[in-house]
Amino acid sequence: MNGPHIFRDFDIAIRNLKDEVLLMASLTRQNLERATRSLLERDIELSRVVIGDDSEVDDLEIRVDQRGMEILVRHHPVASDLRLVISSMKISTCLERISDHAVNIAKRSKKICKGPELTDVALVEPLYVMADNLLRDAMIAFTDHNIKLAEGLKARDKELDRLHKSLIASLSHRLESSAGMAESLLHLIFVIRSLERVGDLAVNIGEDAVFLGSALDVRHLADKVTAELPSEPVE
Amino acid sequence: MIVANTASAPRHSAATRTSVSVENLDFCYGTAKVLKKINLEIPANQVTALIGPSGCGKSTLLRCINRMNDEIPGAHVSAGRISLNGEDINGPEVDVVKLRSEVGMVFQKSNVFPRSIFENVAYGMQVRGEKNKAVIEQRVEEALRQAALWDEVKDRLHESGFGLSGGQQQRLCIARAIAVKPNIVLMDEPCSALDPIATLKVEELIWDLRSQYTFIIVTHSMQQASRISDHTAFFYLGEVIEFDQTGKMFTNPREKRTEEYISGRFG
Repeated sequence: MNGPHIFRDFDIAIRNLKDEVLLMASLTRQNLERATRSLLERDIELSRVVIGDDSEVDDLEIRVDQRGMEILVRHHPVASDLRLVISSMKISTCLERISDHAVNIAKRSKKICKGPELTDVALVEPLYVMADNLLRDAMIAFTDHNIKLAEGLKARDKELDRLHKSLIASLSHRLESSAGMAESLLHLIFVIRSLERVGDLAVNIGEDAVFLGSALDVRHLADKVTAELPSEPVE
Repeated sequence: MIVANTASAPRHSAATRTSVSVENLDFCYGTAKVLKKINLEIPANQVTALIGPSGCGKSTLLRCINRMNDEIPGAHVSAGRISLNGEDINGPEVDVVKLRSEVGMVFQKSNVFPRSIFENVAYGMQVRGEKNKAVIEQRVEEALRQAALWDEVKDRLHESGFGLSGGQQQRLCIARAIAVKPNIVLMDEPCSALDPIATLKVEELIWDLRSQYTFIIVTHSMQQASRISDHTAFFYLGEVIEFDQTGKMFTNPREKRTEEYISGRFG
């Protein structure tokens, strides 16, 4: 870890920025957990709380950007300080989107809860656990500059994608045979889609954590490697 | 290619030509060694910034390149060499006056001569024995145009250089330095006495001229180094700690001491 800056206000500004990002992550995870629980426990009141609390995360996103811009203007950060400001601002955008997905889940949950009981909602729980673990570990990678943990997120997201795919296939099949539950099943498909997106956004946060720790830009790296692979020889 | 003491040498393209080569240079003021085993290969037609805390040796190295330190009693190169196009500048056969026409210098404070604007720029050519008035006039105009000063002074070329603003005086010094068509221009904190707009004008000038001259600039401004240089060398206690491409140095320095210095943690 680096020592303190000679100009102490710079340290205070950096600490405040980090604190806002961590608070944002904490509220986002809470919103996601409550949205999922509202669905599993058929708790309409809890889904209303999630929808109401999202504005706090929105406000934090704006505050993180303001603090980041103020640091850029006043302190002209370089090296790891610069990377911290850039990654914090990018991560806050990801967190805001995740919180929006929590709101989407809460809205769908409200609609599902107003209909007849749907046993299939239990399918969501393992997907939520995987997505939340990814988000938790992405934030740990960011705070601890843990590049290894961040680099592992992509592979774990693939598992989440596999589960997402199989759940969509299973629910699509159910749609054909459960005429009365079609609307609720469609809402549930959207919930599953939101959780899959949460996994993707957690991977993005992990990529920002890699950038923070090592200055490497690993975005779209897998796509590039695949594109650069030699094509199969023609027989 | 520029090679620093540490294993931190930046990778230039094969096409990049070395302008100044510093090899294992030790430099002393009397018995005090102020530069220790400096290894740098400074690429031609680029801007190289030398940064570091006061007393780290960056200005001393700059003054070694045109042998300005020769005037200081007891100051001497105790080991290593500096070469321009392969030729040792401290060799016995080297003509120092000729060397200084190859290696121009601009100082922290503009040192305008107590003469007219025209004479300031023409001075170097006249010292070199140029007598053809038309050649001198043409080159004065060229140099003033290159220094982005022509439009501001063309109607008062024969007025005193002291009548110019601080920023204009510094650009006049740059015009004087480049009038003799040097290969290298050394700059020792050229903007430290200028206001922000005059600073930007000088920086713009350096940026524009770098395809024609090799600039080596000592600066205490991290923003200036990051704005105008292609490569940056960080000096500390007489050593080159790190040398790299400026973009790399200011986003991901290899050395912890570099990171701590450029981010304002010590110095």
